[in-house]
Amino acid sequence: MAIEKQQLEHLARLANLEFGGEELEKFKEGFEEMVAFCDGINHAVAGDTSSIRGVDSRTIDFEDLREDTAQPSLAAEKVLSNGQSSNGYFTVRRVVK
Amino acid sequence: MNYRLVSGFETHVELATASKIFCGCSTKFGAKPNTHCCPVCTGQPGSLPVLNKKVVEYAIRAGLATHCTINAVTHLDRKNYSYPDLPKAYQISQYDRPLCEHGYIELDSGKRIGITRIHIEEDAGKLVHERGFTYIDYNRGGVPLIEIVSEPDISSPEEAREYVEKLQLIMRYIGVSDCKMQEGSMRCDVNVSLSQDGVMGTRTEIKNMNSVTFIERAIIYEAARQREILEGGGRVEQATLRFDEATGETYVMRTKEDAQDYRYFPEPDLLTVVIPQEKIDEIAAHMSELPVQKRARYLSLGISAQNANLLCRYRAVCDFFDACLKADAGARHAANLIVGTIYAALPTEEDKEAFALPFAAEEFAKLVKYVDGGKINFTLAQITLSEMLKKGGAVSDYIKEEDLAGISAGELESLCIQAVAANPAAAADYRAGKHKAIGSFFGYIKRATGGRADIKAAEQVLKRLLSD
Ligand SMILES: [Zn+2]
Repeated sequence: MAIEKQQLEHLARLANLEFGGEELEKFKEGFEEMVAFCDGINHAVAGDTSSIRGVDSRTIDFEDLREDTAQPSLAAEKVLSNGQSSNGYFTVRRVVK
Repeated sequence: MNYRLVSGFETHVELATASKIFCGCSTKFGAKPNTHCCPVCTGQPGSLPVLNKKVVEYAIRAGLATHCTINAVTHLDRKNYSYPDLPKAYQISQYDRPLCEHGYIELDSGKRIGITRIHIEEDAGKLVHERGFTYIDYNRGGVPLIEIVSEPDISSPEEAREYVEKLQLIMRYIGVSDCKMQEGSMRCDVNVSLSQDGVMGTRTEIKNMNSVTFIERAIIYEAARQREILEGGGRVEQATLRFDEATGETYVMRTKEDAQDYRYFPEPDLLTVVIPQEKIDEIAAHMSELPVQKRARYLSLGISAQNANLLCRYRAVCDFFDACLKADAGARHAANLIVGTIYAALPTEEDKEAFALPFAAEEFAKLVKYVDGGKINFTLAQITLSEMLKKGGAVSDYIKEEDLAGISAGELESLCIQAVAANPAAAADYRAGKHKAIGSFFGYIKRATGGRADIKAAEQVLKRLLSD
């Protein structure tokens, strides 16, 4: 299945990814393979979807949902240990002008 | 050209649960940054969300209170976008099968504003932009929200105000949220367009409004801006706007060009929720009285429409008033004292919303019952109440048993004779046909009895004395 370069650029922008011209070409090939694989599933079940389990095949009853009780959270140092932080806040490069 | 304002609302309301929607972290407002966080609400790989039962219950309550159909089978979806307020790069929300649909809110005019849907979702983290950095606090990330989407049925800034205030009051009455706009627990996105001779116009969306007054102003400004464009022969561009509270103007945040593409799909980490009809019935049966029902009940007790409206504006006031009624206080005197004397001591909206008094409703009820029984007059009750509001304490600290002995008919008769004797000029005026002069004697009797005398009874006695 052919993917338009424009579509890829759009997806990359949505995912906050930057591709150089050559990188995009290479990625396009890989991406087309992935889409073809998913397409294969679509063809395999074409016409008869009775054997496919839908979203609703696994359900939970209201009563079995989690009770609303607050539990202790992680220590802030632990929460922050995986990223850049300052004064207890995670920090990133400013995202608005 | 004939322009008509067309406006719809998307309102986010934070639910007052103890824990977050998909994890056990606390939802308390005002904690140190990133102290209410865990692997789930910071989106660590391998962590799994578990849906909070109370979130579903509260959303059902909100749906029932706004006349919605409750969908017994509902599931959650991923809404994908990458921005630092979302650690997972997706928000768990609802797309094609929201919990509640097809409701309405009725305005005082009888006009109904349609509710398209109410769905549950998680809030995002809070961002602060300073100098070269964006600072992120994920305490709010994962706090449960309902998003209430209205039909574009609102056609004036006044209707917009009434819609928001009604929605806020309903949510407070049913106890699902405190709806504090200044703290962000209720926020509105407002769509505005102008239809021209019945043809729908292009709409713009003003994001994240957190004050009713600003909502009204923003709609007025935006409608005027669009009108100017249209009258000049131009076209309104579809855009997301921000309202600047300082200048009172709207600014473009983004145009349709860079509109989001959320690529929704069913959340694979959560099961489809099935809600038995008996459960929905049970929630409906335990719903507290809604503002319209409360107002009707108060009216049936003989309270004026104006007082009923003033009482029903605040849930805490209604709770206090209902406690007074339960303690057998008369509705009319209680309402008059609350709306008059107590409201005067609580000048701001916040004061009245909180309704923190230095005495219990039962103590206030005692005072009201003295008035009901004619043991003290309304003026003395007002004076006593003002003192109680300042100093607190019990009614018995202010009104002694002996004060309540009442004035016997004989005592009243002699008091009236004294009053007439003390003011012969007024007596002469009355006899000459100036019947208003009778008021001069009331002051004397009030002073002599410390406000305990029944002025209506005194009036009868005086009329008899003066006509002899
Ligand atoms: Zn958490």
